[in-house]
Amino acid sequence: MFEFFFKYSLQDYARSDLVFTAEWPAWLLLLIATIAVAGLSAVLWRHRGGATTRQLLAVWTLQLLMLALVSVLLLQPALKTEQLKPGENTVALVVDNSGSMAYGERLRRFDVALESLATAIPSDSTGLTAQHYTISDVAEPVETFTGAEPVGTSTSIADSLIDIIDSARSQSLAAVILASDGIDTAGGISANQLADVAAFGVPVHTIGVGRDRIPEDLELAQLVAPVKALPGSTVTARVAIRHDREGEARVRVYDGDELLATEAVQLPANTTTTTAKVNLDLRDAGYHRLQFSVNGVDAEPELRNNVRSTLVKVEEQQFRVLYFEGEPRWEYKFMRRAMDPDGDIRLVSLLRVSPNKFYRQGLESAEQLEAGFPATRDELFAYDALIIGSVEAATLSDEQQQIIGDFVSERGGSLLMLAGPNGLGNGGWGQSAIADLLPSRLPPSSVDSFVRTKAAVQLTPQGADTEMLRLAATVEENRAVWASLPEVADYQATGNMKPAAMTLLNVVTETGSQPLLITQPYGRGHVYVLASGGTWRWQMSSPLEDQSHETFWRQFMRALVASAPPGISLSANGSQGATEVQLRAEFRDDAFRPVDGIRVSAVVSHEDGDTYTLDLLPSQDDAAVHVADAPLGETGTWYVEAIAERDGEAIHVARTSVYSESGQAEYFNIRRNSALLRRLSDATGGQYFEPGDLGALPDLLRYSNAGITEQILRPVWDAPALFLLLFIVKFGEWLLRRRWRTI
Amino acid sequence: MPEFARKIRIPAIVVLLIAATVSMGQSDDGFGPTSRSATRESEGEFHFVRLAYSSNRFASRGGRRQAWQTDWPDAEQHFLRGVNRLTTVKAAENGRVLIPLDADIFDYPWIYAVEVGHWYLNHQEATRMRDYLLRGGFLMVDDFHGTWEWTSFKASMDKVFPDRPIVDIPQDDEAFHVLYDLDHRIQIPSRMFIYSGQTWERDGVTPHWRGIYDDDGRLMVAINFNMDIGDAWEHADWPDYPENMTALAYRFGINYVIYAMTH
Repeated sequence: MFEFFFKYSLQDYARSDLVFTAEWPAWLLLLIATIAVAGLSAVLWRHRGGATTRQLLAVWTLQLLMLALVSVLLLQPALKTEQLKPGENTVALVVDNSGSMAYGERLRRFDVALESLATAIPSDSTGLTAQHYTISDVAEPVETFTGAEPVGTSTSIADSLIDIIDSARSQSLAAVILASDGIDTAGGISANQLADVAAFGVPVHTIGVGRDRIPEDLELAQLVAPVKALPGSTVTARVAIRHDREGEARVRVYDGDELLATEAVQLPANTTTTTAKVNLDLRDAGYHRLQFSVNGVDAEPELRNNVRSTLVKVEEQQFRVLYFEGEPRWEYKFMRRAMDPDGDIRLVSLLRVSPNKFYRQGLESAEQLEAGFPATRDELFAYDALIIGSVEAATLSDEQQQIIGDFVSERGGSLLMLAGPNGLGNGGWGQSAIADLLPSRLPPSSVDSFVRTKAAVQLTPQGADTEMLRLAATVEENRAVWASLPEVADYQATGNMKPAAMTLLNVVTETGSQPLLITQPYGRGHVYVLASGGTWRWQMSSPLEDQSHETFWRQFMRALVASAPPGISLSANGSQGATEVQLRAEFRDDAFRPVDGIRVSAVVSHEDGDTYTLDLLPSQDDAAVHVADAPLGETGTWYVEAIAERDGEAIHVARTSVYSESGQAEYFNIRRNSALLRRLSDATGGQYFEPGDLGALPDLLRYSNAGITEQILRPVWDAPALFLLLFIVKFGEWLLRRRWRTI
Repeated sequence: MPEFARKIRIPAIVVLLIAATVSMGQSDDGFGPTSRSATRESEGEFHFVRLAYSSNRFASRGGRRQAWQTDWPDAEQHFLRGVNRLTTVKAAENGRVLIPLDADIFDYPWIYAVEVGHWYLNHQEATRMRDYLLRGGFLMVDDFHGTWEWTSFKASMDKVFPDRPIVDIPQDDEAFHVLYDLDHRIQIPSRMFIYSGQTWERDGVTPHWRGIYDDDGRLMVAINFNMDIGDAWEHADWPDYPENMTALAYRFGINYVIYAMTH
């Protein structure tokens, strides 16, 4: 309709500028307009007859409008439009030929993509030359798509597009048309990558093939498990199950042939990804390749995405915890008793037994802590966690308090503050140099916030979800154990919580519930406040065979030390199924300052013996860190050894290992990611299309801002709408005059 | 007297006496502020708890007092003041009295038993004491002398730990060093020593510091045999009692307390 009255589409008007092509001088136009208005007014006044002023004014306005319309026609209006110059530009037709494009029902995604691209640019109307590309892990130019098959083992859309646009710029690239399922196994498209693609100024139009939801498929979308564990410890792995319908799934974990654990997981209808925790007891030292699987459903199109594997190294490692206590008390005794059998964590304690004597326990040497609480970074940073009990802040110097702050923020150590007559607020810690670290604003020392009255403990929802507070195998059993624990002997007010703090335990007092165990991250480390010195009642008031007290402290201590990074470490991280990982080696001295002047290289060895070396480069973010991307070409266990050398001599070595499922990535995330494709089009000025609805694409291509364009003028003076308006004005005047009987 | 009445006479008397003495401890009738109904939770971290055990058939104290009441309450009152003055332990000012089967015993991981040559623990009480000690409680026994009292003490102690030996505490045990280094130990006598000049009683000439350990080598029971540390505490303010013996008694007691709170 619009096009009938105005000759061209609304989009044409939107893309064009309206110009007047008659080259009349402005003074002449002004003169003619003045004479016309004056003449019209004079003639009308002379022949006014018996007409009223209002009637005269109406007729005058309509005649003036007619004059204006005629003037517009005489000025010859036209649309000025920039559009691609036929025969001068190219368009890149890109098809995703990664493995996931082989999925489909009647037709494969790949075939739908080819069909869509074939109809995308009718060559007779656009005058564009097509360049053909396939993309998976890299982009490849091809003569035609004939013979191409979806066999790529990974997909990196952003990097591939950057390669295509960069290489095709010399050929006046007007647009890119990408037909894909949007599955990017390189971890998606980052904001930086999106900005890089958009910076070329070439619109990327996307055609999304496949289905966003596949109800008949279950997928083990993610597996997160620790890479290291202590012998005999319980580790928690988190799995994410992708599903498009509700039901129940069962996760099984195998260590070789041994079934380690099974976990039933309810899959709700209102979400597409459900996460679950699986607890695993790893007894023996050595490498454990754990295979997680989720049971398949009927007619599942891809069973390979139901299984993931990871590698956990179980090894002896001793952590150190320093416990600084100001008075002998039962909490001290029973904490030590709980920790003494734990060969992985050495609890070193410094206890003030009299005003003039400190008693030391758990020592590694007679000299350890001989001079009292550590006074240097080196000395304190040798520990992984620090516990401060019922002792006044003033016992430590400002420098020692500052070192505690550095211990948490720079060393990444954990700090646990305990309640007591001289602990927390009573001890003046709320006004100390470490007050900023604490997860709450402690009451002032002038207020006695310590209460020596028994009180029950409650697990909060966050606490129930925390591994450190797990005293039983299942969530329900854990809640039951916590509910049955004897009361703690005392408690203390923690003050107002800080914004980042989290409450893991509450204590039920006569006046209501208040926080008992709170935590917050600070810098590289974590800070906890346990507002009681009376968990020892869990030991003395429970049957002898009850291990709740021991388990609590061992789990808690493990959590404290596990989050403290070692000075020398090596990690290998990458998306699951990816063909390479990022190596990150960190070398710090005893004071946790970066080791200077080193060159770092890595030896990467496959379990079958294939070995190569590569150099790691200093990270721009952290002087202690060196990074490199390490390709893992084959599935299996890879062992990595990073060597720090100074003057040709190896001074530090860090080791890690990783299990690679190289080439498996395309079997995961098989659902179409149309959101990624839309984001890509939006950022580059392109448009997203469904395969069956490509009608607007040729027009979009014609007016691309990229490539070589030309200017065209299209007259609109002869648009029917203008003549219709002329008729309406004149007919309206005739009707009015007839009604007023002035004709 | 019928045979049945004869059989139950002694146990019945013992039960009545125990009940009477415990009820004395519960009332404020001149036996000091050791009432069990006191607001015990608000006083301190460390509480001196005296074990109100049943006496065996050979106990013959005369008067109102039972064997477990010996030196009570002056001994603990004096000792606790010393603990608060000489250490950083926050000790309640007054002692407490508990029978072995009192459920509250688990709230006090340190307990003192005196004149244990006259104690008698039945099977239920022995089981309770074993449970208490294995969970982490600490028992200090004191003021018994000679072969006969040792045999009597051991009869009940063997019910508590039939399979654990009583051994001499080694010189290098932390119990002798945790605060004070107690390398030079002497026999600490009762106040009768002032009159008799004799530091021993009966045939208990040689003092022994003995103990029972748990599976992890921690001292659970400190056995002060052929000595009377409680008397030294009780008579600390008596000018005639030797100061060096009182001082040593305080040091033994304090070391046991701190050991119990650290091991």
